[in-house]
Amino acid sequence: MPMPALDIEKIKKEIIDSQLWRSVFRGGLWKDTPRDRAGHIIGNVWLHLHPVKVRPRALKWAYSWGMGGISFALYLLLTITGVVLMFYYRPTIGLAYRDIKDLEFAVTLGMFLRNAHRWAAQAMVVAVIAHMVRVFLTGAYKKPREFNWGIGVLLLTLTLFLSFTGYLLPWDQLAIWAVTVGTNMAGATPVLGNEGPLGSLVGMRINNDVRFTLLGGTMVGENTLLRFYVMHCVAVPLVVGILLILHFWRIRKDSFSAAPYEANEEKIDVWPHLVKREYIGAAGTTIFIMIWSILQNAPLEAIANPNVTTNPSKAPWYFVGLQELLVYFDPWIAGVVMPGLIIVGLIAIPYIDTNPKGVGYYAWKERPFANTLFMLGVVMWFALIYIGYALRGPNYAWYWPWESWFMNKPAPPPTWSVFGPKGVGAYSMLIGIPLMGAIASAWMLLPKLIQKELDGKKTMGAFLGLLALWAGVGMAMGKMGAIQGGYLLFFVGASFYFGFVLPQRHIRTLDWPRYLVTMVLVVSTMSVLLKMCANLAFNIKYVLTIPAISMNI
Amino acid sequence: MSYRKAFIVSNALMLASFIWAFVKDFRAEWRPYQAKYYQMSADVLEKKAAAEKDEKKAAALKVEARKMRSSPMEIKQIIANDLGRFDRCVTCHVGMDEYTNPSLKNDFKENPYKSHPKIDEALVKAHPFTKFGCTSCHSGQGLATQVEPAHGWVKHWEKPMLKGAHIQGSCVKCHGDFENLKGAEIAAQGKKLFSKTGCQGCHAINGWGGVVSVELGDIADKPFERIAGYNFKNIVMDGKELKNEHHHNEWNLQNWILAHLVNDPAKVTPNDPFAHYNAEPIPPSGMPDFTQELSRADADAITAYLSGMTKEEVIPHRYHVSAPPAKEPALSGAAHGKFVFAKYGCQGCHGLDAKIGRRRFNAAGEKQAEYDEKMPEKEQLAQMNLGEEPTLPKLVGTYTHDELIHKIEMGVPASDAKKWSPKGPMPMVYMPAWKGKISKQELADLSTWLRSIAVKDESGF
Amino acid sequence: MSETNPNPAPEPSPEPAKPVVPAAAPVAAAPKPLAPKKDMSRGDFLWAGWGMLAAFLAATAAAGARFMFPNVIYEPSQKFNAGAAATYDLGVSTKWLNEQRVWIVRTPSGFYAMWARCTHLGCTPNWWGDQNRFKCPCHGSNYTLDGDVIAGPAPMPLWRAKVMLAATGDLIVDKAVLENKPGKREQAPYFADYAPS
Repeated sequence: MPMPALDIEKIKKEIIDSQLWRSVFRGGLWKDTPRDRAGHIIGNVWLHLHPVKVRPRALKWAYSWGMGGISFALYLLLTITGVVLMFYYRPTIGLAYRDIKDLEFAVTLGMFLRNAHRWAAQAMVVAVIAHMVRVFLTGAYKKPREFNWGIGVLLLTLTLFLSFTGYLLPWDQLAIWAVTVGTNMAGATPVLGNEGPLGSLVGMRINNDVRFTLLGGTMVGENTLLRFYVMHCVAVPLVVGILLILHFWRIRKDSFSAAPYEANEEKIDVWPHLVKREYIGAAGTTIFIMIWSILQNAPLEAIANPNVTTNPSKAPWYFVGLQELLVYFDPWIAGVVMPGLIIVGLIAIPYIDTNPKGVGYYAWKERPFANTLFMLGVVMWFALIYIGYALRGPNYAWYWPWESWFMNKPAPPPTWSVFGPKGVGAYSMLIGIPLMGAIASAWMLLPKLIQKELDGKKTMGAFLGLLALWAGVGMAMGKMGAIQGGYLLFFVGASFYFGFVLPQRHIRTLDWPRYLVTMVLVVSTMSVLLKMCANLAFNIKYVLTIPAISMNI
Repeated sequence: MSYRKAFIVSNALMLASFIWAFVKDFRAEWRPYQAKYYQMSADVLEKKAAAEKDEKKAAALKVEARKMRSSPMEIKQIIANDLGRFDRCVTCHVGMDEYTNPSLKNDFKENPYKSHPKIDEALVKAHPFTKFGCTSCHSGQGLATQVEPAHGWVKHWEKPMLKGAHIQGSCVKCHGDFENLKGAEIAAQGKKLFSKTGCQGCHAINGWGGVVSVELGDIADKPFERIAGYNFKNIVMDGKELKNEHHHNEWNLQNWILAHLVNDPAKVTPNDPFAHYNAEPIPPSGMPDFTQELSRADADAITAYLSGMTKEEVIPHRYHVSAPPAKEPALSGAAHGKFVFAKYGCQGCHGLDAKIGRRRFNAAGEKQAEYDEKMPEKEQLAQMNLGEEPTLPKLVGTYTHDELIHKIEMGVPASDAKKWSPKGPMPMVYMPAWKGKISKQELADLSTWLRSIAVKDESGF
Repeated sequence: MSETNPNPAPEPSPEPAKPVVPAAAPVAAAPKPLAPKKDMSRGDFLWAGWGMLAAFLAATAAAGARFMFPNVIYEPSQKFNAGAAATYDLGVSTKWLNEQRVWIVRTPSGFYAMWARCTHLGCTPNWWGDQNRFKCPCHGSNYTLDGDVIAGPAPMPLWRAKVMLAATGDLIVDKAVLENKPGKREQAPYFADYAPS
């Protein structure tokens, strides 16, 4: 069939020159000139947060990992799938579970959307943590970007909170018990929680403490579901939105990605170079989530039953590291103080890090202390998650990955406390408090007080030697086995290296305020290692216990 | 790879993944079953049309066949709101959907195409699907539209479809009278065996019985979490191990109960007699081995009975069938007559043991003064209040045995009553007709007794 | 995706000045085959890419629209079984008025079912047997037994629902299919013949 010859170019020009087109898309016919490339960015509401030009180092995937953009892409995916899911979900305990079943069986693409939402949520938690690690390793939090880093930490916390509130919504056994575990930690808040230290002194009871406001009741029930639903769908996304605006604004104002380390670095156009990478990142994320959602279904257990606790009951994976900490520490420490220290510590990092090096590039040798300790923290966090997730089975007993959870495990051995009313020897509390105080102070202060840099190898050698001696004596006396000796060497040795040798070498020159803050964070981190060793190797429950004020460490 | 290529590849992959997701969702498990049903039904209709001699009827059948063949594919569900059932079984079991198959009968032999068995029998007729759904009796996961999840043979669904005789446990849930109920014989047998074999000595049912072991009054609600799941591996049913939760889950409550009756319970729950895993030694299950005493049929009967022991399911009051009333004492003759007099409430009007009739407004009685038109109203009112029901002993002597029966059967309408004040209102209370309500034997005995308490004159009449 | 050249020269691209959303929304795509990659010019390459993106967005939109039509609803079915035809007396039956909002009317020749919704503003009229008419209490519309308006503000006759006689002798009423035009409403499927001898 012969068609009249169409002059595509002419038609295009007429459309683009028309009033209708011009009123919507300002700019006219596209010409690949610097002016038009700039115009693309400046004239577009979605793009104009970008600068017109950007440093080429910022474009490298190996530099930025794309994680910030991927996090944002996941956030948009989550918002869209979330809103769509809201059409078929009712947040009451009579209907929530049924609606999830309906999404699975009766709604067009219901299962796919639910899967996409869940997997995107998990991926987003990983992505924001990866983004944080990348920003740390490239020093992009240092002056003048400290505040943006702080906003980022808040965004991380809110991402975890979003994931946590969303976890409850299917109202199955997984949901109710994970949230029970998580919110019971709120009850252990010092002063504000009814089970925390000093809480009962200010009149906190189960029906008026901070946990009560979180749950809307004394236990996870109808009110909790509604509250979590509102927080998950409206309140927290709004706050995240506001913080994201601030976060992007600051990035833009701080001259965008890849902080400059040369003056007058040459820049290249954002359109198309950055934009195309962003697109591929977003498209790749979408594809990844879609394929994952097709291949794997989100879990759904039996309907929530407050009378039947699953065995084991675990928090979502990103909190199961804290749940593992609960094995070694009391709830107020593991659930409140530690997470609080982590958050505050992260926000404090830009203010205690005075090393000007390593901004805008990966500097392994120039920032030994910062990189080592930060990565140690990250590794420990994920190690705890792994242990809590994969190595803890029914009754929270230790199950190796190859052991079936149907296997019976022997009862745990009895635990003991070192210093306290039931501790070692008489008057152990009287000895214990000053002794612990002395050790803690010494540890905090010595690295700075020793003016000269100690030889790391010699110091470590000496310390390990001491430990080996202690282990040897213990084994000879029959009080310790070889495995316990090994634990001792590993954990205590590591604590000494990361907690004493490295600070002595690198931060003894810091001013006192910064030094002390850093040491508090370092010592708290090491305390986790030490307590793990004490508990796993020697069945120590508390190092120091003062029951009168329900403070047990 | 250049970004240009990456652009195309990524867009292509996005498109392809989405199509994949949509196709996967579209190819739901239920669709082929429903489609095949429509085809099969249409074929049947067309065969009928071909065999039909009458042209008009044949044309009508052909039209029906065409409509059936092009029926829309949809998820069908039965909503039984009162029972909280939203059963999508009829999406595949189309033969049981009364909108597609109004007669609820067809000649197909296999599931899911065949119609509900025994559809004409009283049992199924008494439980219309629209009112009860499917899962009220059969259990299972009504909300699901895939084969294994719908039948409940998946992990985390704790009420799978009841197999075989166990379904009679569902009768027990609503029917307080299941022990005499036609269709619930196996469950009734189960309850009998439960007492006879002595289960009640250790296992109380709703508080009645021993406390040595678990209370079974709500055993059907037992959450799977409370069963030591690894013990399922010890069960041997029909010579085989039970399939575990990853494939066609057979680790369910019915099999758990059954296992205690067809296996040695000490082998099912061996526990830890040498304290390998616990602080103290824990002996195996103390339940005796009943495998020699109880046949497999017996075990199924007891399991059926126990499957109905649920407290979680809220049965609305009007679905509940109460147990039959207590048996009447075995009486005859006048003694029975006295019992009947009380049973039907005759005492309400004629007084306890028929001694003296109760009040009857404006009836002419013995206690009243003569009627005087000029009496002031207040006095008249007082007089009318003195009217009485007939005092039977004074009345019944004048009737023969059969006359009395006839009188009771026919009743006495209010218009026949003698009024004290002719101008006054008709006495409200009257003798109803008891024909058909009191049985013949009861009437005979009633008459005997009444005449036995009749006032006798000097001659004994 | 590793970048080979961190400073690529800007490539001329023939797209029109369209704003691009940097994060691709996970919207649907209409089915389209993958574009072949041999022997295409760079311009066609890109058009294929954009085309597939457009197809993806369109498909997502279409799937989204399909998503918005629920497959199951928790309302009582629009179709219901009104019981055995033989149990109905001649005249108007209000048996299903409360549960289904339908009058079953039996005439000597058969049945029809009228939707008890006034065509004025949607109230439920009442059947006044002794006056042989339906009267709506809200604004006073009056209807005959056939459903025609004889008084009041109603603009059109009452709607009749599809009614069928099943093989079992039951009446099946389908309220989803309605008709009120005289001439059409007396025919099947809005009238079920039933004249037992």
